Amino acid sequence: MQKYNFVIDIQYKSNVRDPRGETIKRVLNDEYSIPVTSLRLGKSVHLEIEAESEEIALEMVKKACKELLVNTVTETFEVRKI
Amino acid sequence: MSIPKAQVVVYPGSNCDRDALWACKYVGFDAEFIDIHSDIDADLLVLPGGFSYGDYLRVGAVAAREPIAQKIKDFVDRAGLVIGICNGFQILVEMGLLDGALLQNSNGRFLSKIVELEVLDNTTPFTSYFLKGERIRLPIAHGFGRYVKTCDVNTVVRYVDDVNGSDELIAGITNANKNVFGLMPHPERAIEKILGSDDGLRVFLSAFNYIRNNGGVRL
Repeated sequence: MQKYNFVIDIQYKSNVRDPRGETIKRVLNDEYSIPVTSLRLGKSVHLEIEAESEEIALEMVKKACKELLVNTVTETFEVRKI
Repeated sequence: MSIPKAQVVVYPGSNCDRDALWACKYVGFDAEFIDIHSDIDADLLVLPGGFSYGDYLRVGAVAAREPIAQKIKDFVDRAGLVIGICNGFQILVEMGLLDGALLQNSNGRFLSKIVELEVLDNTTPFTSYFLKGERIRLPIAHGFGRYVKTCDVNTVVRYVDDVNGSDELIAGITNANKNVFGLMPHPERAIEKILGSDDGLRVFLSAFNYIRNNGGVRL
């Protein structure tokens, strides 16, 4: 068995409001005069997984996303190997 | 028939479980606590408010995947009554027993106050003691109560004012069979006038009366 590392990037769908992102953007604009025009705050999950192949590992990571890590009603995700 | 029985599911991090048990007993239920490994033996199941598993990952997400989840789904299939209050509502949504999603309040703040609500559906087992269109007052206490609609739902109560950015001011919904009720306001915290409102009492009275009239679902 080999170990594989992945990063899962989870973001709210573009039509879902993100009050935390809006607040952070406002502070950057107002307090630091940094002209950020859009800011979305998501989640990043770093995980290590044991599997017989990278393909199997990736399948299991996607299963983890769909079963628990991501609410596909409101969020989207991207998996990348590191 | 025997006295209607209620069970309150205590998840790690639940903090309204004792209020819910009190409310059930107050209207006459034989009521007890159960945990995530228990079997269900009840006519009414209460998923209480709180912060199950610290609301890690997403509100209600971990609790919705505990061993008792499948038992709750089976109980719902047998037409058992389930009420999810606040975090309990969030758990029901994560379990897929109710549609939609509950996200952070649009103003980013935790809201704790008594709000005015309008009862839209008084034909559910949980709302028969209310008039259609009646305005009632219940406390809210949530950071993630913004209801996002993903399909048509049966709205039971809606906010009179826009408190948290919910679609269509939705505060509480049922499933199509009306035996699963989820709401963000806390009826169990409004069962005596000294608490600021006793409008919540009628939610529990309605459920008790429904079970007395229609028979329970205990095996």
